[in-house]
Amino acid sequence: MKLSSSACSIARIPSLFASLCRPICSTSLSLSPSSLKPTTPLFLRPPTFSTSLSELNKWHHWAKNLASSVGSSFVHLDNGPDSTLLCRELRWLLEDSLEDHSLISQLGSQNYHMDVRLRASLDELYVLWRQRIEERRPFQYIVGCEHWRDLVLSVQEGVLIPRPETELIVDLVKDVVLDSRELKEGLWADLGTGSGAIAIGIGRILWSQGRVIATDLSPVAVAVATYNVLRYDLKDMIEVRKGSWFEPLKDVEGKLAGVVSNPPYIPSDDISRLQAEVGQHEPRLALDGGVSGMDDLLHLSNGAVSMLKPGGFFVFETNGEKQCQFLVDYMENNNPGKFCNVNIVSDFAGIQRFVTGFINDKCH
Amino acid sequence: MSMATQLAWKSNSLLRFASKSISRSTSNGCIVAHYSRSFFCNNTNMTTITSMRPEFQLCCFTHSAASNIIGSKYLELTDEELMKQCVMDTFKASGPGGQHRNKRESAVRLKHIPTGIISQAVEDRSQHKNRASALRRLRTLLAVRVRNTLDLDAYSPPPELLQILPPKSTFRGSDCGPQIGPNNPKFILGMQALLDLVFAVEGSISDAAKFLGLSTGALSRLILSDDSLRMAVNELRTSKGLKPLK
Repeated sequence: MKLSSSACSIARIPSLFASLCRPICSTSLSLSPSSLKPTTPLFLRPPTFSTSLSELNKWHHWAKNLASSVGSSFVHLDNGPDSTLLCRELRWLLEDSLEDHSLISQLGSQNYHMDVRLRASLDELYVLWRQRIEERRPFQYIVGCEHWRDLVLSVQEGVLIPRPETELIVDLVKDVVLDSRELKEGLWADLGTGSGAIAIGIGRILWSQGRVIATDLSPVAVAVATYNVLRYDLKDMIEVRKGSWFEPLKDVEGKLAGVVSNPPYIPSDDISRLQAEVGQHEPRLALDGGVSGMDDLLHLSNGAVSMLKPGGFFVFETNGEKQCQFLVDYMENNNPGKFCNVNIVSDFAGIQRFVTGFINDKCH
Repeated sequence: MSMATQLAWKSNSLLRFASKSISRSTSNGCIVAHYSRSFFCNNTNMTTITSMRPEFQLCCFTHSAASNIIGSKYLELTDEELMKQCVMDTFKASGPGGQHRNKRESAVRLKHIPTGIISQAVEDRSQHKNRASALRRLRTLLAVRVRNTLDLDAYSPPPELLQILPPKSTFRGSDCGPQIGPNNPKFILGMQALLDLVFAVEGSISDAAKFLGLSTGALSRLILSDDSLRMAVNELRTSKGLKPLK
């Protein structure tokens, strides 16, 4: 079962998340999401710890050496991060840990006895950075957040870290709502919402009458997405529902103005070759798209026909050119005449990444 | 790979990307604009690749009197309009991207097609913010590198320049409002006009100060108040055999 594999990847993480791991491992799908309490991102924790600048300096020096020792070995191993990237992450870890950011520039200065206020104890920082380098635990899980568009979203083990590529989905939606009052004030669905990133991005561009329903099968994702929605004060606009794809949306069949999704699309055989940060730490539930990677994309494109209202818009993220082409052909052949303006859009790296289109309003 | 080769290589792949990403539509659907197209400019003359480095370069583009307006016009464009003149790409290393990668390299590069100026941002944690930083940086680069020629005989400082001058300036009327500092986005427009003048008088601060109704010291202080402005002026002065301002 997919869920158990995602729970396993959580179970692999020691110490800090041990307490979190227990309820997830023992959970069944019927567990109410409210029983899961999401972890607070580091930068939002109170600065209740203190140390001296010299001790912090010592830690920083150690952490930098550890990062430098990596060189480009991870790059060769599995296209992972190099030292430069890790050092940048180290700086961001400092930013999130320190109450006073201006201290970063003073590291290495002579003012050694100065007191420094921290949001995590120094011991914890040693543990966290060791996890980053030795276990390849993703930086975003270390600090408990990801910067995505103009948002800072809480993330934790069990929830896919939103990718920079996916930022573009919100721009694509922005483009179509710009000239359509109906779409701007309509009901949208973000399926497999994960951290809630796309739903929140869209919630912030719709007019006040607009609504978004975000669904996810994973209870951790539902809890984290709910937390993020509350943090951006969008609870009146975005509703998070637990369930698989369109299942929790039966009451709004044929009423949706838009459907967006970044479903799992990696072919099962590729999962074992993923960079360690992804393959060993992120939930398989959010990555594995079956043998061809297309299982969920095909399901979504079929569902979109009945769920969207005439003139409704969709965006799906895919694995690349092959899946984009396949999906477009599939839509034409399987539901001839139902879709219109179906289009492939590339991400900023030039890879064909998204399939967008509308439900034909003449065929209904 | 050196920075320059890397940039040249990226620019190459950029153009390939531009030519490749033509919109595709279904046979029954009408063609809608490819989204990425809004970031492209219709300029097809960009066949040669310049490996322009991100440091400041002097006087890369001097607009002739006829196209005088165009040079300063770039800075008057809104972010969206300016974006339309740019191609944007990311620094993708290799591989399929998307869910495959835990990708901290949310770095962004903008290439301004009409001038070929490249601006980039890597230090922010989201692509969105890096894009905004790159755009801000592009504005500064445009101000520093795009020169408008001036007719010194008929010169009077334009309003955007008067706005960044200290109140001491004898040309500054009361209708100018308070002095605009380097943190204000409008400063860049004034900075471009000031550089146009400093270039027209070949780097002489005392000559430029006379055109602005300022003392040489006051103008020096203004130039030193902003890093890009100071660097551009000093680079010009060095090239003319003058001592850099400190």
